[in-house]
Amino acid sequence: MAETFATQKPATLIWCMGATQHTVGTANVRAFCILLLATGNVGGNGNGANIFRGHCNVQGATDVGLDVVTLPFYYGLDENAWRHWCRVWDVPFESMAARFDTPQMMGVPGIPTTRYFDAVQMPGQGAKREGDENYLQQRDSLKAMVVFGHGGNTVTRMPEAAKGLEKLDLLVVADPHPTTFAVLANRRENTYLLPICTQFETSGSRTASNRSLQWGSKVVEPIFESKDDYEAMYRLAGALDRAAERRAMPVRFQAELFKHIEVQGQQPSAESILREINRGSWSTGYSGQSPERLKLHMANQQHFDLVSLRGKEGTPVAGDFYGLPWPCWGTPEMKHPGTHILYNTNLHVKDGGGTFRARFGVERNGETLLAEGSWPKGSEIEDGYPEFTVAVLKRLGWFDELTAPEKASLEHHFGANIDRASWSTDLSGGIIRVAMEHGCMHYGNGKARANAWNLPDPVPVHREPIYTPRTDLIAQYPTLPDRRGFRLPHLGQSVQARSNTVGRDFPIVLTTGRLVEYEGGGEETRSNKWLAELQQDMFVEINPGDAQSRGIRDGQWVWVTGPESNSRARVKALVTERVGPGVAFMPFHFGGWFMGEDLRGRYPTGTDPIVLGESANTITTYGYDPVTFMQETKVTLCQIRSA
Amino acid sequence: MARLKFLCDADRCIECNACVTACKNENEVPWGINRRRVVTINDGKPGERSISMACMHCTDAPCAAVCPVSCFYGTADGLVLHDKDLCIGCGYCFYACPFGAPQYPRVGNFGGRGKMDKCTYCAGGPQADNSAVEYAQYGANRLAEGKLPLCAEMCSTKALLAGDGEIIAAIYKERVQRRGYGSGAWGWRTAYKEGLAV
Ligand code: SF4
Ligand code: SF4
Repeated sequence: MAETFATQKPATLIWCMGATQHTVGTANVRAFCILLLATGNVGGNGNGANIFRGHCNVQGATDVGLDVVTLPFYYGLDENAWRHWCRVWDVPFESMAARFDTPQMMGVPGIPTTRYFDAVQMPGQGAKREGDENYLQQRDSLKAMVVFGHGGNTVTRMPEAAKGLEKLDLLVVADPHPTTFAVLANRRENTYLLPICTQFETSGSRTASNRSLQWGSKVVEPIFESKDDYEAMYRLAGALDRAAERRAMPVRFQAELFKHIEVQGQQPSAESILREINRGSWSTGYSGQSPERLKLHMANQQHFDLVSLRGKEGTPVAGDFYGLPWPCWGTPEMKHPGTHILYNTNLHVKDGGGTFRARFGVERNGETLLAEGSWPKGSEIEDGYPEFTVAVLKRLGWFDELTAPEKASLEHHFGANIDRASWSTDLSGGIIRVAMEHGCMHYGNGKARANAWNLPDPVPVHREPIYTPRTDLIAQYPTLPDRRGFRLPHLGQSVQARSNTVGRDFPIVLTTGRLVEYEGGGEETRSNKWLAELQQDMFVEINPGDAQSRGIRDGQWVWVTGPESNSRARVKALVTERVGPGVAFMPFHFGGWFMGEDLRGRYPTGTDPIVLGESANTITTYGYDPVTFMQETKVTLCQIRSA
Repeated sequence: MARLKFLCDADRCIECNACVTACKNENEVPWGINRRRVVTINDGKPGERSISMACMHCTDAPCAAVCPVSCFYGTADGLVLHDKDLCIGCGYCFYACPFGAPQYPRVGNFGGRGKMDKCTYCAGGPQADNSAVEYAQYGANRLAEGKLPLCAEMCSTKALLAGDGEIIAAIYKERVQRRGYGSGAWGWRTAYKEGLAV
């Protein structure tokens, strides 16, 4: 493969969750990037790493900060990051700090969605038993959960999830349809289903896999009594404020966090939400895509070239890349065209060109980490350089190119610490503007990094899955030792050892994935009669050889059993050579049946999807990527028998 | 006058069922009736191919030849349409059709057949164009609005082409020449008595 990539150019590598949802997910992704870098397939037309997203605006949701290790736009969780966002929100840092149990908790990554049920079931530090690692690194267990737009059945280890959901004090499910979260546990009290409208019933910016933003306009009014996410969050924040007031607690949510958001009645405006994003997201270049610029693109779609994505000369969008793919640097007034291809040194930085970020310091073990012999077209600095701060501008003699308002903003926000203000925290955008005027990348000009010395495997290596039929490979390629992360214990080798004992009873490798007809947890699409008709039964794909040796006919009911929690699922057999001998596949969009039980009666009347079925993740097992805690959905073991 | 046809390029079809879903939605086709469907051959094996199939609107249509009540009629564009008010649900056309296009809703509990339903090329039926009665019985009449069938319009890969037979044949030939292979326009010899050699 490396030879093909080296000789057949341009070459691109496309992947989705098949590479990432593994105990070695981060390592896989890094190996792909290293392959592309080493074969010269980054930064040019037609090459690079292309990761496709599965739903509208997954990319945008990620950027805005649903990752529990960072504040919005990848600023991290340290004090600098908090202070930056406090400046953007216009909220005192002290008010933010007061929301946390201790100041240290501000910088501790949260609990990922892949492990919420473990966090419910484990004791907090308060009730921790001496010498027992089975505890949650916060004062108490997880007690309450609000779920916005998340299926539940897309998360592994569902028998454990059912127990966790049962134990929660409060559960709120906010979605267009009741999801698996709503029915999996037999909850009667303190469970609320909030009807949320779909993307077609609200407006706002949406980011696609290629980092382009599009303005989506409301197509129809929200049906029934549903509300959009903005209104639901605004009203929740208001209810919390009133509750805090009654208890004489100083914390305020609606009053503090919506200061610069226009609200009509109870409805925050989508435009002002994007403007707040523009004001704070310098790090990632979500700063130039104002609502006005995005709407101009939508109105002029016909003027963009379908291959280069560029607006044609002589049109209102001349020179822009369609949807101003991030990074779209600086303020909207700077008119950066967006970045269609990352790290492209053949373009001027003001024209969508770029360098590799100087993110990891300037030198390591006596070797420079800055670029050597590489700079973007038209750069005045023909060498590597670190990221830009006010101090760097001063050293280069460019400080006085900042305008008076830019300087005033820096002085207002940073005062005596002005030298430390950096391109990513300067709310005026001045540092970025001046650097770009000189053809320089404000984030520095560094080398791409193949050796990530701060990760568990600095250079990616093979590690056998937790549950593997190749137990002979465990000694040479063990998974990582048990450790902690994200407030939780993270077991590795101790669970992997089970492979040696369960292999005989669970001889088939099970993998899971998508169907074209359904999406995510599947409630919307399984409630759509046109789509539901196309896939009426949950199934397992099994190879003809494996089916024959088990006496299984195509289309009959079978039990799939898994090696944890006595898990079992009753599904239809699809005997096919799509899977090889010893391998089975299940799609993950089904829900509403659990271990042989039909849960249709648990949906509120009239809200049950047309098609229900067992969830693939009832069978999937333990296993998490060490860096992201992404779950292992692609490899486990199972057994299949006639039902 | 154009001769309207369908062409499915099996080397492009990815079995996404967008055409099927578009058809169902546009024409409000009830559950269990499939005016269009996607058939996959050699599933899971090398050489797997998918073909999107509906009524091909045949030249000298066999369905029309066997219908005992002569409910079929041809249009000036070469489409084969039918009149449900005349249809007696006998099922002869299903046996005559080489593509399995005619569908019948089940009526009653004893497997009784209702009026035949099939692809209209989004051209409605014998009533006034785009009237409510036409929509209720036959679905959309996009053709009368100057539009092509929605299945082909929505095809994610443009495997499925609809339009003037000569134009879509030329598009297909150019594709095959460019990419250097083509398994032929599936069903054309049967439906239109002509192959599509490149
Ligand atoms: S495909 Fe079948 S139903 Fe359509 S015209 Fe030909 S014979 Fe008649
Ligand atoms: S929409 Fe096109 S690609 Fe998809 S199944 Fe139909 S013919 Fe094939």
